[in-house]
Amino acid sequence: MYATAAVLFFFYLPIIIVIGQSFNSSRFGGSWKGFTLNWYVKLFTDRNIWHALTNTLLIAASSTLLAVILGTLAAWVLYKYKSRIQVAHNVIIYLPLVLPDILMGISLLLFFVALKVTLGLFTIFIAHVTFSLSYVAMVVYGRFQDFDYSILEAARDLGATWNQAVRKVLIPYLLPGIAAGGLLAFTLSLDDFVITFFVSGPDSTTLPLYIYSMMRHGSPAVINALSVILVLFTFIVVISSKKLGEGKK
Amino acid sequence: MKKIAAALLLLLSLSSCGRQKEKLYIYNWADYMNPDVITAFEKSANCTVVMNYYDSNEALYAKLKAGAEGYDILFPSSYMSKLMQEQGMIREIDHSRLKNLANIDTKYLALTVDKEMKYSVPYMVSYSGIAYDKTKITDFKPTWAMFERSDLAGRITLFNDMREVIGAALKFNGYSYNTTNEQELEKAQATVIQWKKNIAKFDVDEAKRGLSSGEFVMIHAYSGDALQLMDENENLAFAIPVEGTSIAQDDFVIPKDAKNLDLAYKFIDFMLEAENAKENMEFVYYWSPNNAALKLMDKEFLENEAVTPSKEIMEKSDFLLDMGDKNELYTRVWDKIKSAN
Repeated sequence: MYATAAVLFFFYLPIIIVIGQSFNSSRFGGSWKGFTLNWYVKLFTDRNIWHALTNTLLIAASSTLLAVILGTLAAWVLYKYKSRIQVAHNVIIYLPLVLPDILMGISLLLFFVALKVTLGLFTIFIAHVTFSLSYVAMVVYGRFQDFDYSILEAARDLGATWNQAVRKVLIPYLLPGIAAGGLLAFTLSLDDFVITFFVSGPDSTTLPLYIYSMMRHGSPAVINALSVILVLFTFIVVISSKKLGEGKK
Repeated sequence: MKKIAAALLLLLSLSSCGRQKEKLYIYNWADYMNPDVITAFEKSANCTVVMNYYDSNEALYAKLKAGAEGYDILFPSSYMSKLMQEQGMIREIDHSRLKNLANIDTKYLALTVDKEMKYSVPYMVSYSGIAYDKTKITDFKPTWAMFERSDLAGRITLFNDMREVIGAALKFNGYSYNTTNEQELEKAQATVIQWKKNIAKFDVDEAKRGLSSGEFVMIHAYSGDALQLMDENENLAFAIPVEGTSIAQDDFVIPKDAKNLDLAYKFIDFMLEAENAKENMEFVYYWSPNNAALKLMDKEFLENEAVTPSKEIMEKSDFLLDMGDKNELYTRVWDKIKSAN
């Protein structure tokens, strides 16, 4: 009990400090210089931050959607068919998980440049789908490990069409995996820096790119204020999704 | 599902609005230009300025070298501008299109890397030096020798930056920041190892916080950072060592493949106008070698040593240059410093 509390405290302490510092009028946060909402005012009036945030959310949402669809399909194929091609498929799906980001970023950039694709939101979108697809596929594939194929056959025996069997039996069974994979993909896309840096073009700055650059000249305090809002946002999402889940039961 | 798709479409259409106006794509450091000045430019030139950000010169170089394009103006530091010029990545500056170029301080220019502004126009200048607490060090002298003082042991820091630290020691011994002479480097190495006994750590960002909260009494610091610290805590001061220091300058440069040349020149010219250059200086706390703008600045601001170093010190100081293959010499010395006890 105490150990749990201590661990939780240890985990959340940095976040608590960030929340406190976001109200500190000292721009370096070394010592307490008085309460201020200045950083929040700055945050809300900075059009660049909002532009970056819009880009980030747009890419995270769209790339997650596509990655979930493709990843689930990939997991299904890996589960259903066992052949030499599938072994290769498995390796290809696995590769982005272990490939260093910088390698992926540079090679994607070279690829886009060679194909003369204009760098921008679209190339970031493609890059994010590329890496998050693997995560979704792996998580959903994990769910498949305990899947008993005969329940699909049973559904068919009882008169369900293939479509119905998939919709009413397979998808509900996989849903926790799909949701987990989707969340993973969403967070990965939200905070990816290295790959995004290389494949971003003019007019496609995302939040992580902006924050990293702010470290040099900007005020860390504005980043604190932004973090607090992101944390709040995450809490709201988690709590409301839990409430929704309870409602269904 | 349909709602999500509709929302996405809406967002897409929002982000691509304003197509009728011309767009100028700028690749810059974050928070390095006063947003009000940019808005004023957008009004005067009837265009949209699109800002993009990078976080290091090397990242900028890697990205452009790999073939990324679409930017109209970049802000590399002068050693990087030189490298990019040598590799044919940036354009020559057409002086006839910049009527405010005359505002640039020619005496200052003579000391820089690109003396004739062939391929770059200076934007902002910063120095490294020593920031300290006046109340805790009453007998401060502006010299790199301060790092030898064992009575300050454990309460001072040096940058965690190979070129800056070895360079400071080189200057202390009377050599250049850009030397490739191995004997000089060896001497500098011995000096830094001596200093290392007194310092708490090699650090850039944490040190600032430490100085402002009283954990440290003296740190190796950049002028702009020091000014921001002094703004908050009046016990702090900044000095440039008499032996000389390193100067870093960020430039306006125009990449080879810039699409909107007209607008790019207009932008640079606009930023060189006295009033606008002044506003930018007040926003980022750096010194800009713009005579017309400097005339408009607060006396107090200019008399501050963290903003305007004396001419003698300027002449003794060096711009950090790209070392190319000689970088290895520095890496070797740095490794020995880091592993020394």
